[in-house]
Amino acid sequence: MSTPLVVAISVVAVALAALGGLSTALRRRIGTAHLATTALLELLLVVQAVVATAALVGGQRPVELATFLAYLVSVVLLPVAGLLWARTEPTRWAGTVLGVAALAVAVMVWRLLDLWEVTRG
Amino acid sequence: MAEGPAQGPGRVLVAVYAVFALAAGARAAVQLAVQFDEAPLAYLLSALAAVVYVAAAVGLARGGQGGRRTAVAACSVELLGVLVVGTLSLVDPAAFPDDTVWSGYGRGYGFIPLVLPVLGLLWLRHQAEEAAGRAD
Repeated sequence: MSTPLVVAISVVAVALAALGGLSTALRRRIGTAHLATTALLELLLVVQAVVATAALVGGQRPVELATFLAYLVSVVLLPVAGLLWARTEPTRWAGTVLGVAALAVAVMVWRLLDLWEVTRG
Repeated sequence: MAEGPAQGPGRVLVAVYAVFALAAGARAAVQLAVQFDEAPLAYLLSALAAVVYVAAAVGLARGGQGGRRTAVAACSVELLGVLVVGTLSLVDPAAFPDDTVWSGYGRGYGFIPLVLPVLGLLWLRHQAEEAAGRAD
């Protein structure tokens, strides 16, 4: 787990939430910008999952391992779920739905970092 | 808007509720499994909160009269829960050695647990009025 990566993920997630809010405010559905930003967010989350898994294999263990693993897996799934759901929403609120998922990601990566910093070994 | 599954702003509410159901549920599951003895009351409350969030999400998502009734009940329980547990956790912190979603009026979760049921109930009232308007 690295702080710069968590910062990068948060920035992209907040940008995605802002994009989502903007499209809702402009009464538009989600477009290419939303797709691209979600893809970037997902890419960063996968990188984070790989980095964390490598560190776990390397012998580092967060004290609350079960919680850490649950967060690590569900945070990767969130943008996918948010995007799939937003795409079935035919109104301008699709962007806000995606934004909610993005904000949840931003909160969860910081919680992940907290959990990681309480390690033993 | 047609009567049926949630769309538009209602879907945003469902999304927020789903996130909270996941957060509260996962947390409660871990706490109950790993450290139940430390604070059984707090962890059981977390589990109860998770169940209520799921019920609210399902009720809001389904829509219709039945869905609305479920959601109104869930949001009311939730509002009552956050107010009662929030007050108790401030008055008697010793009874809540570990935080729940509802401790300190949802302080640990950006007070969203306090705002969410109010938004939910307002939205449900709006939906009920629309449904009544269509029936006339």
